[in-house]
Amino acid sequence: MNILIAWRNIGRNKKRSLITISSVILAVVLSVFTRSFQEGSYSKMIENAVGKFTGYVQVHQKEYWADKMLDNGIEVNDKLINDILSTKGVEGLNMRLESFSLAAFGNSTKGTLIMGIDPVKEESMLDLKSKLIKGEYINSDDQSILIGSKLSEYLKLSVGDTLVLLGQGHWGQSAVGAYPIKGIVKMPAPDIDRQIVFMPLKLSQEYFSFNNGITSIVVKFKDSDYTQTICDELNAKLDTTQHTAMTWQKMSPEMVQVIQSDRVGGILMIAILYMIIAFGIFGTVLMMTEERKKEFSVMIAIGMQKSKLVLITLYETVLMNALGIAIGIALALPLVIYFNINPIEMTGAEAESIEKLGVEPVLPTLISAKIFINQIIIILIITAVAAIYPAFAILKMKVLKSLRH
Amino acid sequence: MNIIELKDLHKIYNETEVEVHAVNGVDLTFEKGEFAAIVGPSGSGKTTLLNMLGGLDTPTSGKITINNTDISHLSGSQLIDFRLWNIGFVFQAYNLIPVLTAKENVEFIMHLQGRKKNEREARTKELLTAVGLGDRLNSRPSKLSGGQQQRVAVARALASKPKFVLADEPTANLDSKSTENLLDIMERLNKEENITFIFATHDARVMKKARRVITVEDGKIVSDVRKNGDE
Repeated sequence: MNILIAWRNIGRNKKRSLITISSVILAVVLSVFTRSFQEGSYSKMIENAVGKFTGYVQVHQKEYWADKMLDNGIEVNDKLINDILSTKGVEGLNMRLESFSLAAFGNSTKGTLIMGIDPVKEESMLDLKSKLIKGEYINSDDQSILIGSKLSEYLKLSVGDTLVLLGQGHWGQSAVGAYPIKGIVKMPAPDIDRQIVFMPLKLSQEYFSFNNGITSIVVKFKDSDYTQTICDELNAKLDTTQHTAMTWQKMSPEMVQVIQSDRVGGILMIAILYMIIAFGIFGTVLMMTEERKKEFSVMIAIGMQKSKLVLITLYETVLMNALGIAIGIALALPLVIYFNINPIEMTGAEAESIEKLGVEPVLPTLISAKIFINQIIIILIITAVAAIYPAFAILKMKVLKSLRH
Repeated sequence: MNIIELKDLHKIYNETEVEVHAVNGVDLTFEKGEFAAIVGPSGSGKTTLLNMLGGLDTPTSGKITINNTDISHLSGSQLIDFRLWNIGFVFQAYNLIPVLTAKENVEFIMHLQGRKKNEREARTKELLTAVGLGDRLNSRPSKLSGGQQQRVAVARALASKPKFVLADEPTANLDSKSTENLLDIMERLNKEENITFIFATHDARVMKKARRVITVEDGKIVSDVRKNGDE
């Protein structure tokens, strides 16, 4: 019966309840929408630059990350590979050999990032087959290479042309080679697309004169939420005097910083929105309490414990806000799904600044239960805080005085 | 047998600079089945006396014993429970819960007592039929006249099976016909079911029906007349 009383009281002042419920709906829709876009863009950023490129965790020779020289690379050995593969949660690994070289074609030259990869294993990671816009994918034993589409445009070369590479190999040896282009790939991160050259791992080891050498091992596992745990477990297992495991956050601190500062800005905006809503809800609760002091006092006079009455007022606020949350989510969900499937394409200066971070200039939403749950929790906290006033008023109520009200 | 005993009851208000002795040394007893009216001019102390009887106000000194329980020393929460199980209230302004129907208003108090649904429903129907509102079970207070609302209030007051019912100016807002009707119902319930009714009133029609009239002036009882002639 307490819930029945609470429910009917919501309908008692329809206009006021409608305004309160509408403000909750607006808050939920706006905050879910904004947060989904924010988290969606971060997730795209991480997916582009991390999930489909560097990987969430990499293992390097201890000094490599501070000084990315081939001389700080790793000579592959069974113990290291077994240590990584036997770590709990690890599903596989990809070995890479990366360094810079100068690329030349005709009269044009350009600094490039050479990445020696295992073409078969990288299908599930770099997924270059799907990025191929011209030519064919490389095989492990090929003597040919793949290059980024923007690099091919810059050097004005195409499939079948030969790219000349000149750089420094292992232990200061010269690295020189001429390699036919087997395919052109369009990398989602424009910055990478402008400079990337992929070659089979074996070929890159020959080019850099680094037999059995690699610079990084990308560790593969299922859930990116366990990045830190897997990294910690790897470091516990590896001989850390020689090797070290790093998370993508450690490898790309600038990206973490961009995400964090942007997230704080977004959250601040939503906090202001919620503060306005909180005042609205509190105003409703305040008026409702003042108007019904006499009614409350009658209920206490005939034998209702104050604590039960507090519960009724709490139910009222919770019911009203739950209704707002439910409608808000029902309205926000289709919007979030739509923009997840059809992300907004960015243009102009904003697009350029995003591209500089190595990310596709599109703005998708993220469909995440966490975002929805967070909004529910925030509204419930506001409700709980707003319910303190009537609770206090009821507990301190002088029944006789209020009866004469 | 006395169900209520007031001993040397005092109530002093000192909210303003002037001290007001609203109840001044009242000694009074009520027996089961009484139909009594406490009367007196405005400000005489009759409502204060009634409020203390109902545990809504606490005496400055003195003792109130109801069914062998001294309620002067009960805590706020204990008093609420005591009222729930022992006292029925009828207020001047009816004071029904506006969002509940007549039936739900009567059931509400039994719900607070934790009575079972079938018991609540049966008693609600019985009481509302007894006050002549068997056909208005599902009407909200706003759809009922003042007289009908007050009859629902009487049914609500009786729903908890109280030891006695306190009615503060129950007829003040009613027309003659409704007053007559309400008093007849309460008198019938008093006679047939031996329910004790105590009124605070200055309505001559209530005084006429009451079998005992206690007159209060300046916080003191100046007369206590039983209709069979005893004083």
